[in-house]
Amino acid sequence: MGRIAPEIVLTLLSMVVLTWDLVTKGRDSRQVGYLSLAGLAIVGYLLIDQWNGLRNAGISAEPTPVFAMMTIDTFGIFFKLFTVGSLAAVMLFVLSDKRERKHGVGEYYFLLLGAGIGIFFMVSTSNLLLLMLGLELLSLASYSLSGFHKSEKRSAEASLKYVIFGGLSAGIMLYGISLLYGLTGTIDLIEMGTGDGTSWPVGLAAQFAYNPAPVAIAIVLIFAGFAYKVSVVPFHFWTPDVYEGAPTPVTTFLAVASKAAGFAVLLRFVGLLFMAEGVDATVAAYGDRIGMLLAIMAAITMTLGNLSALRQASMKRMLAYSSIAHAGYVLMGLAVMTPEGFSAAMYYLGAYYLMNLGAFGFLLYFEGVTGSEEIDSLKGMGWKAPLVSIAMVAFLVSLTGLPPTVGFVGKYLLFVQGIEAGYGWLVIIAALNSVVSLFYYFRIAKALFLSEPAERSVAPQPILTGFLAILAVGTILFGIYTAPLQSWADSGTASLELVNSAK
Amino acid sequence: MGLEAYVAVSAGLFALGIIAIIVRRNVLYVLMGIEMILNAANINFVAFSHFQGDSLDGRMFAIFTIILAAAEAAVALAIVLNVFHLYDSIKPSDADLLRE
Repeated sequence: MGRIAPEIVLTLLSMVVLTWDLVTKGRDSRQVGYLSLAGLAIVGYLLIDQWNGLRNAGISAEPTPVFAMMTIDTFGIFFKLFTVGSLAAVMLFVLSDKRERKHGVGEYYFLLLGAGIGIFFMVSTSNLLLLMLGLELLSLASYSLSGFHKSEKRSAEASLKYVIFGGLSAGIMLYGISLLYGLTGTIDLIEMGTGDGTSWPVGLAAQFAYNPAPVAIAIVLIFAGFAYKVSVVPFHFWTPDVYEGAPTPVTTFLAVASKAAGFAVLLRFVGLLFMAEGVDATVAAYGDRIGMLLAIMAAITMTLGNLSALRQASMKRMLAYSSIAHAGYVLMGLAVMTPEGFSAAMYYLGAYYLMNLGAFGFLLYFEGVTGSEEIDSLKGMGWKAPLVSIAMVAFLVSLTGLPPTVGFVGKYLLFVQGIEAGYGWLVIIAALNSVVSLFYYFRIAKALFLSEPAERSVAPQPILTGFLAILAVGTILFGIYTAPLQSWADSGTASLELVNSAK
Repeated sequence: MGLEAYVAVSAGLFALGIIAIIVRRNVLYVLMGIEMILNAANINFVAFSHFQGDSLDGRMFAIFTIILAAAEAAVALAIVLNVFHLYDSIKPSDADLLRE
């Protein structure tokens, strides 16, 4: 039982939060926020404890599944800690956002915690049923959250678009899973990858020989569900609208936690099916073709994201397209189909956490000041709120991928893996994309500092300022001392026990 | 009746669901289309579970899918109701404040 203690605590916390809000009739929602943050601290402590225990035991200690369904490994804990960190940041955003006070915000924390529970289960299972349930729990909470401002037309529209796209892609994914189940006779990814052809469950290898087309259809249908979650072309249509219409803290959650969770399940799915130990050589060879498919999706995604971001006047919409572009970069790490590539993708997600949380925190800060999301409204603000603006410049440098920031190291690792796996063309496209992204990221820095100082006075927001300063320091510090984040990503990947598919 | 018949029905249901989502302009039909896709998956799960290996995983999956569909319909209808209050319409094309 101790091994799923974080999940148990998080579930209890969400119920306490909901009851507390009901009992106090939402009189002081800030208390609910502090309670949630305290609970998340406990969950985080339990996770770090598990992480250290697993790392000390070494990779050789085989993680036995809990209830034959959940695998508690360092890979899952990496993403659970990521989620706890994102949830805490989003809650800080809600607490420091004055405009959120007028909406009943008690349920805000409950829905966020509910989405967190969904992520916890989906990142720690190789069982497609539990994966689907976790994914849907995350989705259902996200639909409600994006429509949280019930009286605002834009928020309502965002949730409508999200629920239609989300429901459709979940349905398509479920149909793909049903086909895969029919072909292999199991819903466990490990059994699918390693099963032999003599008895049920037969494993993918035998089916590749007899039914290549249905297997391909099933896998492509399942990818549709993942691609929607991480907003990769051609399932990205919802992203700009939902990100723009949803309340900014929710947008932050969708862009950071929800996207990373999608990548976590995608990494595990691809890894266990095509790269696990004991996988048949024909399946591993098929994996290379999947890698090519992912590489093409990555190239289109980053190009479309960056080119669309160029023409946005709204900073929120620009960050939405920028998050599509970054999904393309992370996908590069998957496309190479090596454990090292996966590790680079996880490193980049860690970098993405720091810099994107920072960028959205900055957006929230200035929404509170100017009430606008337009980049033009930032003109000259750099002189009025210097600390936040300098932090933002650090995030922008990192998002572009320039040294000495964590974003640079992340891109460097991805590019190295791409070249080693023979995806030179993809690396060239990614490098060109980084140059393009410089233009639109720089527009914000230019508006902040290269204009006449603004007239408007800026009320101090100490909590948010402090948080952004910490993120900025992290962005630069992890860019100089790369070892810690790299070793975390490496031990996460190591627990998947992947082998390098022969080239 | 063989497995092929069940798979054919479910494939047809899946295609109809997709068509309903693409062709119909009304949100309620879109939601019905999604339900059809989920039920297509359910037919697959139960049929495969019976014909192949006879494992209970598929039947279990189908039961959970039914619950998922109910939960999703509840959230989706609440959202549609809210959009109807604000826009006086349930056509997605009428809610178009968010665009380029």
